[in-house]
Amino acid sequence: MNRFLVFAASLALLAGGAAHAGTTPADPKAIVYIGWPNDGQVMPAGRPFRVWFGLRNMGVAPSDVEFRNTGHHHLLVDTDLPPMDQPIPSDRNHLHFGAGQTETTLQLPPGKHTLQLLMGDAHHVPHNPPIYSKKITIYVK
Amino acid sequence: MQRREILLALAAAVLTPRLAFAERTPSPPGAEAYIIWPPDGATIPTGKFWVRMGLRNMGVCPKGINRPNVGHHHVLVDTDLPPLDQPIPSDRNHLHFGAGETEARIELPPGKHTLQLLMGDYNHVPHDPPVYSKKITITVK
Repeated sequence: MNRFLVFAASLALLAGGAAHAGTTPADPKAIVYIGWPNDGQVMPAGRPFRVWFGLRNMGVAPSDVEFRNTGHHHLLVDTDLPPMDQPIPSDRNHLHFGAGQTETTLQLPPGKHTLQLLMGDAHHVPHNPPIYSKKITIYVK
Repeated sequence: MQRREILLALAAAVLTPRLAFAERTPSPPGAEAYIIWPPDGATIPTGKFWVRMGLRNMGVCPKGINRPNVGHHHVLVDTDLPPLDQPIPSDRNHLHFGAGETEARIELPPGKHTLQLLMGDYNHVPHDPPVYSKKITITVK
């Protein structure tokens, strides 16, 4: 019985390990990055600032559009990467840019914040391999 | 009767270009294309460089997909704006980014060059009003 439990647990682990990406292929050379602000940047409080979405070796397409090697940007604010085999949540920590936007303006309360970009496919699921940026930290003062 | 037909044909000939104009895809208010990099007046040490395409208040979408408030980038190299009621030419002076690209690796010979962005709709026709950037001048060493 114990053995069976271990077997079941390892199966669950393996399944979890295998399902770390969606099914839409992306160019493995694709790079997404935050063009602005810079990592460690101090931003003035009470003022919106622009965030630019950089993308190389891949294209932008609005949500629901299926076109080879494209996706749309998601900006993760103060959160870690979500599960890579499911649609990216849509809430105040996961901002969707399903209209094909390539920049946005953001206003954040004073303090330390993190920003990270994650591409989603036509159905908001990360690609295979998932295309995400470095997570940067900014300080609003 | 013959006269009437001639008049009709004349009227059609006069009206058709206007109809074609009227069919242009509207651009959203406040839409603005701009070249993020290189900056105007930049000197580029090597002939190969990335052009970063910026777009505000509008989204990027690959060619052939008719959605509101989107378009795809065209980089005009060493040329003026083409006629704005016709598909943008596709040649070495008019680079199309119909896969939704927002950055492009461009190679230019040494000397002075101009770069300008022009958005095209799903049929490669500029929007109404057209969305284009300032024309910048760069020098390749």
